[in-house]
Amino acid sequence: MLLAAGRARCGVTTSSEKETLARGTEIRGKWNGKVYRLERLLGLGSNGQVYLASTGPRVIFAIKIGHEAAELQGEVNILASLDRSEKGRQPFLLDVDDAVIDGRKIPFYVMRYVPGVPLKAYLKEHGSHWMGVIGYRLLERLSHLHEAGWVFGDIKSDNILVGEYGRVELVDYGGASAIGRSVRQFTEIYDRGYWSAGSRVADPAYDLFAVGLLWLHALDGKRLVQLTRTLIPQNRHPRELMKLVRSNPKLQPVEGWIEKALTGQFASTRESTKEWREAVRISQRPKPADDRVPGWMAGLLGAAIVLSTTLAAVWLLD
Amino acid sequence: MMKQILLITDGGSNVGESPVTAAAQAYAEGITVNVAGVVDEGTIGEYGATEIADIARAGGGISQIVTSRQLSKTVQMMTRQTVAGTIRQAVNQELRQLFGVNDVGALPPPKRGEVVKVMEEMEETMSLSVALLIDASASMKPKLHAVEEAIRDLTLSLQARTGRSQVSVFHFPGDSQYSYCVMDAGWHSNASNLGSLFGKIRMRGTTPTGPALLQVVDYIRETCGKIGKIELMDEPHASGGGSSEVRSDNVV
Repeated sequence: MLLAAGRARCGVTTSSEKETLARGTEIRGKWNGKVYRLERLLGLGSNGQVYLASTGPRVIFAIKIGHEAAELQGEVNILASLDRSEKGRQPFLLDVDDAVIDGRKIPFYVMRYVPGVPLKAYLKEHGSHWMGVIGYRLLERLSHLHEAGWVFGDIKSDNILVGEYGRVELVDYGGASAIGRSVRQFTEIYDRGYWSAGSRVADPAYDLFAVGLLWLHALDGKRLVQLTRTLIPQNRHPRELMKLVRSNPKLQPVEGWIEKALTGQFASTRESTKEWREAVRISQRPKPADDRVPGWMAGLLGAAIVLSTTLAAVWLLD
Repeated sequence: MMKQILLITDGGSNVGESPVTAAAQAYAEGITVNVAGVVDEGTIGEYGATEIADIARAGGGISQIVTSRQLSKTVQMMTRQTVAGTIRQAVNQELRQLFGVNDVGALPPPKRGEVVKVMEEMEETMSLSVALLIDASASMKPKLHAVEEAIRDLTLSLQARTGRSQVSVFHFPGDSQYSYCVMDAGWHSNASNLGSLFGKIRMRGTTPTGPALLQVVDYIRETCGKIGKIELMDEPHASGGGSSEVRSDNVV
């Protein structure tokens, strides 16, 4: 619900931006000549629509259709730059072109299709015990991004797709910013500036702050939304967020981690990844033995001892 | 340097010079005028809504009618979009003159990529001055907290830019019959130095939007000097389908 508010468009949406294209629509590239067939709408980005598209049976892509060539090109530049700087993974960006649909010229680009569901939906379906793996994978992904000189910026459930067994991929790189520049895109409640916890200059700690809020939002969304409604702006502060974190048992294992993220105390994203793994691992360790014996079992043992002593005494006395 | 006036109001003007003419004058002097209409209960009325749209159009900017909850985000996005729009327009003009193509979108994608890189560099690094002009007529009183927060939020975003950015704040009507508008804060670059903005405002009934706009134009002219490159613009800009709409959560 809060996400919806965060993404709410502040005004009228022109009809051409609301209209979606029908299944089967052909997108023919003007410059490169490739033809894509639209299969279904995957989502509405901040400045365009993303569709699942195919070029043949079982050859599928994600295709983003924009409204404004220069704006879409900005995203293309980021994706191209990420593909260059993060060598050793599959490229995201596959084609950039223009098409004409109903007489209108529209810019588009084609990406690798990333299957998966948004983080919150995944946790709801599979349970919050997936937090450890997903959180670790997310931080790994961010480590690569940060080491390549980029900050993701707009971290939120909708932009984190989780696939089989907690595999994580980030989507909507249009909001990424070069480290040292101003953050191009963010969602208010995940924003460090909104919580009076730092600037809007893109640095790795900006993303880590948002990751801290992401977990609070994913596992305690109602209370977080309530907090944003009741706090006056001067009182927005990480310590208010920590009050929620400390009183939520699900967040208890990563309480220390979230506090460091919200107060910018991690030296690097790698370090934060390591500490996340350790925090989650500690919570998974078996509890000390005497804690683990259930009451009924202890009771049974006691009863057995009493019984056998009594029997022994009776036998001896006989 | 880019110059913008951002007018925050909740209804129609009723005293003095037409705000539409005033905005047109501002634009003629190289200052873009954006307007945020704030309405919490009821509607802004047809007259007010039309005037808000007209002021923005005359001032080469964009307008939005929003609730006070949405104000921070709207103010930021209008500022960012105006910066991007101003640069896009200047670049398109150069492209027309030098290469005879209509706009960036007419270039083949690889060339487009290069041009957009330069445009984004300019967006981030050009100096930017934003004068906020706040309607403090009686009906705005319950919204001033939201306005103050929006100003702080904008300053925080501008502070993160690589280029020099500054914000000044005015409200209208003034305290006497003879002053249409009062300066609450001169050019500031740091959100924490703004202090309390509207502590002692006495709310009055009139809404001299036009005269107040002209006074802010005077202030910008006196403090920022003549306009340089960005005067290239020759028409009020409308950035494709996006000008009437504020998107997601972009910032400057």
